[in-house]
Amino acid sequence: MGLPPGPGALFSQGPENHVSTQTQSIVTAEAESKSVRQAMRQVRRAEKGKVPTTEGKRAQNRRETVAGYGFLLPWMLGFLGLTVGPMIFSLYLAFTKYNLFTAPEWVGLDNFVRMFTEDPQFMQSVQITLVYVLVGTPIKLAAALAIAMLLNYRNKGSGFFRSSFYAPSLIGASVSVAIVWRAMFSTDGPVDSSLSLFGIELGGWVGNVDLVMPMMILLAVWQFGAPMVIFLAGLKQIPQELYEAAEVDGAGPMRKFRSVTIPMLSSVIFFNLLLETINAFQVFASAFIISNGSGGPAGMTNFYTVYLYKRGFADGQMGYAAAMAWVLVIVVAVIAFILFKTQKSWVHYAGENR
Amino acid sequence: MFDIRKRRVAVAAAALAASAALALTGCSGGGSEAGGEYNPDEKVTLDLAFWGNDVRAAMYEEAIAAFNEEYPNITVNSSFLGFPEFWEKRQTEAAGGGLPDVMQFDYSYLRQYSENGLLLDLSPYLGDIIDTEPLSQNILDIGVVGDETTGIPTSTNAWGLYTNPKLLDQLGVEEFEGGDWADYDSWMKEITDTAAAQGVTIWGGTDYTGRIQNFELQQRAKGEDLFTEDGEPNFTEDDLAEFWESGSGIREDGIVIDQQRLEEIYPLSAFDSALTASELTWDNFGAGYLRNLGAEYTELGLVAPPVTEEGVKDLYLKPSMLHSISSTTDHPEAAATLVDFLVNSPEAGAAFGTNRGIPASETQLEGAQLDPLGEQIREYEESISDRLGDAPPVPIVGYGSLEEKFRLIGQELAFGTLTVDEAVDQFFGEMDVVLNQ
Repeated sequence: MGLPPGPGALFSQGPENHVSTQTQSIVTAEAESKSVRQAMRQVRRAEKGKVPTTEGKRAQNRRETVAGYGFLLPWMLGFLGLTVGPMIFSLYLAFTKYNLFTAPEWVGLDNFVRMFTEDPQFMQSVQITLVYVLVGTPIKLAAALAIAMLLNYRNKGSGFFRSSFYAPSLIGASVSVAIVWRAMFSTDGPVDSSLSLFGIELGGWVGNVDLVMPMMILLAVWQFGAPMVIFLAGLKQIPQELYEAAEVDGAGPMRKFRSVTIPMLSSVIFFNLLLETINAFQVFASAFIISNGSGGPAGMTNFYTVYLYKRGFADGQMGYAAAMAWVLVIVVAVIAFILFKTQKSWVHYAGENR
Repeated sequence: MFDIRKRRVAVAAAALAASAALALTGCSGGGSEAGGEYNPDEKVTLDLAFWGNDVRAAMYEEAIAAFNEEYPNITVNSSFLGFPEFWEKRQTEAAGGGLPDVMQFDYSYLRQYSENGLLLDLSPYLGDIIDTEPLSQNILDIGVVGDETTGIPTSTNAWGLYTNPKLLDQLGVEEFEGGDWADYDSWMKEITDTAAAQGVTIWGGTDYTGRIQNFELQQRAKGEDLFTEDGEPNFTEDDLAEFWESGSGIREDGIVIDQQRLEEIYPLSAFDSALTASELTWDNFGAGYLRNLGAEYTELGLVAPPVTEEGVKDLYLKPSMLHSISSTTDHPEAAATLVDFLVNSPEAGAAFGTNRGIPASETQLEGAQLDPLGEQIREYEESISDRLGDAPPVPIVGYGSLEEKFRLIGQELAFGTLTVDEAVDQFFGEMDVVLNQ
């Protein structure tokens, strides 16, 4: 699997070199932050060393702990009862045959064997989900970054544009938008008609085996608001002095983007990449609504979670669905692990000497 | 000054108490009422669940109001959902042991719920609380699983061929006169070609090899049901391959509507959208078709499906729905009383008309005001009596999944993303899984 193409390759050159040699101001900034951190560390050490001397203090501490856990309890009960419990149970179910009517029956690894050797629908589902994640996520992040940079360029009216670009993310996951999307991409719908004006005769996208995936990716990309806002915050954190210095050194816009923006933003990019990748794996509602729960046409919107849902709740194969869920958990965990491992080589945390 | 210690203790206690309260309220209430002897005047409450829409819900309300005039002591709480959601909810309730007292039930799920002991055996109430006089024996037999009666059919339907007379008129094509599958194919071709010549987008029909019922029809013509009494498959890979192959002509020549168009209009069918002039389906779909077609279309044609083999009994009456009672109900007698009312009473007939199909019970049928379409369906079911054979055994557990798989494979065949051989492989693979669940 590895890293999606695009961003990963772009950032692989060591960014630190460019930044640390820039200007006086960044050196001061780093020195400042270093001294602040040292001070913090001293304070923390001091607190740790402060051992309560009297019996009363210790009792008070204990009571505070009890009160703390007391307040935590409702959440803990929910977490244990509604999250951890079901997860452990589903791990057990993954090794069973369970139709909800009769007690689960232990079948060992059968579910996993069936998944990878006997279920062409599963393989297709994995395939289209990977395409969706590997193609959709980079495009979405690129779009988010591009818009964020445009919004960062001028302050005038940026509040309005920020809100309007963010709006699709608020409504994007809703049922109505998926239905509108369906109507827009039907034969003789707005998209088809406007493309026809330019002489592109594609027909409807919703029922087209080849075009329904691009349509789903467009729907995802259109909801770039959340990563965009985070990018924008990251962009505003980049000291203006860096750009000024780069300009003095004769850097053009591309060079500034490559050598200042990208390295300074790499931690934010990493965060967005991780989050959006995981989110993309879990695509469900839009596909479920657009295909009316069928995963069609010809299984092209039968994403992993849609297929899992159908197996579990329509076919009553809870054991198989649980096994699928755990495979997804493992795959997402592995991808997150790989991303964390590779971040050393391309993610730069401002003010840290790595 | 305020004693900080005491306050801390109080806060801790309050927090503990609050969370305990939160945890406890979740499982308060309920408590089972004792079953005991049947007392006709006892105040009881029954839960009733059905699938349908607002229209049907209003009909149930009317029927329940009539029921309460006769039995004011029985309060009925009804709830309804769409068909797939209805069964998802029942599944989780079945796992948790909380099925509603009385349910509208579907034939394809009857075996699964019966064999797992989730439905009450109605045999003790037959001929007693539940009047069997107005129900014919072969209707009653439909609801028998093993040696228990777990469902009473409310109404029946049969497979038929709906046509759209207005579209046929417009094109100047005659109504389908009957004949074999090849005749049907060429009739559809005539429509598609005529429409193309006139520059309108109308097709003769939909690819009928995408539906398992048409396969069943052709197998029954050979004298074989899809599954045996023991739930074993009764057809070979070759049978299925031959069937799917038989549809390749109408798919590839564009005689039937293309799959892409079908995807876009789903969940409506092509016939609903006046894009095709015919559709093979259950005869109780007529009212829905008329509603979806809109006010421009006032009548439908309904004729017998194409003949596979002359003189055989390939069609059968299927319950469009049944009524069943949960085996865990606290009030079996009251529930049976409600089922009897919903199945047999003229009041129920007056409330539902043909919404649930042609009433199976004579007394319910008497109360039903048949609209022209209902009358047409009743006449149709009479007209095919020569072709009506015994109903197949109660569908195997997981039949619903297989039916859906068949439909999905049909779509892939239409898109050309699967070959017939791959399709057969996939279907048999799926069947293996379903039979072993």
